[in-house]
Amino acid sequence: MTQTDVQPPFRADHAPHPDYNAMPDAEFRAVVRHFIETHYPDIPRHLLRRLRWQEVCPWYAVLARTGWLAPTWPQALGGMGLNAGKHLILIEEYERFGCARMHDIGTVMLGPLLIQFGTQAQQDHYLTRILSGEDIWAQGYSEPGAGSDLAALRTEALRDGDHWVLNGQKTWITLGADANMIFVLARTDKSVRKQAGISFLLVPMEAPGVTVREIENLEGHAEFCEVFFDNVRIPIGNIVGEVNGGWAMAKALLGHERVFIGAPRLSASALARLEEIARREGVWSDPVFRDRFTQLEMDLADLSDLFETYVERLRTGAPIGADVGLLKICQSELYQRISEEMLQVAGSLGGAQLTDATARLDTAGTWLAARPTTIFGGSTEVMRNVVARASLDLPK
Amino acid sequence: MQSEPDDWVENVRMLEASLGAVVPEDGSLLRVREQRGNGAGFDPTTWRIIAEMGWLALRTKEDDGGLGLGLREATALCAGLGRGLVPEPVISAILALRLVSAAGAGAPEAALTGETIMLAAWQGGASDCDPTAGVTVSDGRLNGRKIAVEGGLGADIFVVTLAEGIAVVPKDAPGLTVTGQQMHDGTFLAQLDFADVLAEVLPCAGMTTFVREAMLMHAAYLMALSERAFEITLDYLRMRKQFDVPIGQFQALQHRATEIKLQLELARAAIGAAGRMLDRSEDPHLAQMAILRARSRAGGLARLTAREAIQMHGAIGYTDEADIGLFARKAMVSAGLYGVDTDLRRQFSAMRDEREKAQ
Ligand SMILES: Cc1cc2nc3c(=O)[nH]c(=O)nc-3n(C[C@H](O)[C@H](O)[C@H](O)COP(=O)(O)OP(=O)(O)OC[C@H]3O[C@@H](n4cnc5c(N)ncnc54)[C@H](O)[C@@H]3O)c2cc1C
Repeated sequence: MTQTDVQPPFRADHAPHPDYNAMPDAEFRAVVRHFIETHYPDIPRHLLRRLRWQEVCPWYAVLARTGWLAPTWPQALGGMGLNAGKHLILIEEYERFGCARMHDIGTVMLGPLLIQFGTQAQQDHYLTRILSGEDIWAQGYSEPGAGSDLAALRTEALRDGDHWVLNGQKTWITLGADANMIFVLARTDKSVRKQAGISFLLVPMEAPGVTVREIENLEGHAEFCEVFFDNVRIPIGNIVGEVNGGWAMAKALLGHERVFIGAPRLSASALARLEEIARREGVWSDPVFRDRFTQLEMDLADLSDLFETYVERLRTGAPIGADVGLLKICQSELYQRISEEMLQVAGSLGGAQLTDATARLDTAGTWLAARPTTIFGGSTEVMRNVVARASLDLPK
Repeated sequence: MQSEPDDWVENVRMLEASLGAVVPEDGSLLRVREQRGNGAGFDPTTWRIIAEMGWLALRTKEDDGGLGLGLREATALCAGLGRGLVPEPVISAILALRLVSAAGAGAPEAALTGETIMLAAWQGGASDCDPTAGVTVSDGRLNGRKIAVEGGLGADIFVVTLAEGIAVVPKDAPGLTVTGQQMHDGTFLAQLDFADVLAEVLPCAGMTTFVREAMLMHAAYLMALSERAFEITLDYLRMRKQFDVPIGQFQALQHRATEIKLQLELARAAIGAAGRMLDRSEDPHLAQMAILRARSRAGGLARLTAREAIQMHGAIGYTDEADIGLFARKAMVSAGLYGVDTDLRRQFSAMRDEREKAQ
């Protein structure tokens, strides 16, 4: 069987998971390494771009069959039951090996939301279909007029008997063209405060009235897209939580996410590549370069320490704190500074466009890939506003 | 202050008025967009127009059929090209003609008319901008490598800089291999590998200065593309509303926009000063230092503007369809051409020390 004709549904067929959380970290790390080395399929590694579904499908299949697809879900629901610390080790090892990121909106975002707020029936139906690869999810929050100001969203769902009728437009939907399901924040009450009239809906992309237009990004890949809803009828039950309760739920989801989005792994891997490029270019021993490199290295080490303090809060269940946005600011800006240094070190050829096979050391590609990290998931400016407002106690 | 003949002011006005032949006045970047990754990364037909306008011969002596204009004119022209993100390797061709003409080889008629494309291959290493490096001569044979030849895939003839002077080498000379590297802005840089390439070496007084002049022209290109990207970004800050107000109202963005403005004016001032010093033949040593300074400032400006332009546009700045991305990618690629930051500073400090010693 060639790898490209592997298609969902995938069925898990593995021995029960051990209690990974009880393992010493080093042992767990070794387990993860062994897992990757034995199972990673013959698909590209160390890419800056996201792989499309057909390309990444073999990896999804492996993860689904071995029960490694949803690391943080409880084992009873088909996950690995990892705590934050162990999850982090898993992510680090994937990153080190250069594993392609698979389509993970279902496992990372929707799954945890359903586990917390969904009905039994929703969990039974959707979690199973995520694990089997039958449902690939996209996140439909942003709109042309609602980016940083997400609560200004205008996509509207009106009740019509047993259905919601959805109209509007979502945009910047990552890998939306690969998804067959999308969760959407839609306005269900215009008469109340902006945040109070929003619901969380589950929408099949195949439903009549849904159109998708791919958008090419700055790296030349059609990774995100626009999704239009024109009188799309969806069953009344395709709502998570209360009607008009979508905003609070979407925010609640951000807890764990907010810490992990600040994980130092992107910077760490970029710094390692910077070292490689510097050695290639013969400046590794140049004291001027080393001074700048050392600064970045120290910044990374400090970021890692800061990150650890938040992970510790997650581990112990302590409140994460409103200043968690600092992590994301720090990580994304460091990643960008490292990419800038890469470009400098590569000199006149820094802007070269490399192929998939050599993408790892694509300096300009890294520079480009680092750009959106200060835009999505709360822009750097908005994060700074949030931290200032929530934790500096300044006059309003 | 000394009064100066202000012919250049009129020349600049005329050049600027003629830019429309290549740079659409409505700011359309359709041609630039479609040219990306196409052929040699630039358009032979546009090349002919550029040649007909006399731009390639801007810095070539009048005796050799050129216009013999100054650097203030040349930087004004390159600024116009930068605003329009013109991908044709004009600066490389201006440099090539200037080198050939200075070496007493005249200026080939076909290169002036654009029939043949003659470009300069001057750079030896990715981070080392010494025009004497990369290729050596012995027994009339060239060996070694030149890199980062802009538009080099489309060239018919290369003017190669050497420690001993220059050599004029046709692209199909036996022993010469030309390899293209596609860049993120859709242009190609060529790498030239020489293996016992037979060539006549011509002494060329002032070679290093001419290369530095090209750096100054390129600084103007970078400055102007940054300026245009900045204008587009300011328009966006005025128009884009979030939280019920134009995002340009947010002080966090205003302060950063002001920083770009500051860097832009520093670059403009430095470029202007360097051009003036060179055109008036004032203190040549200081003038060279001024070029290095101006080029360094313009590179930093271009990178800063690229970063901020994307950030201030939000997600739309990260799309291929928004024009701002064309500027960002061009800035990212060209900020490393005709001078690399660390090398520019190294050259500047070396010249500063020389100067101190001489005084
Ligand atoms: C690669 C990528 C993938 C994405 N994937 C998805 C996805 O899958 N699903 C989805 O729903 N969305 C997605 N997004 C959208 C993302 O969430 C938005 O880009 C983000 O919310 C910012 O909105 P915006 O792009 O409209 O920028 P805007 O909000 O218009 O911001 C423009 C600029 O103004 C600044 N600004 C805004 N408000 C303030 C303020 N109050 N003070 C100071 N500065 C301010 C911003 O920081 C930014 O610099 C993605 C975006 C990118 C770039």
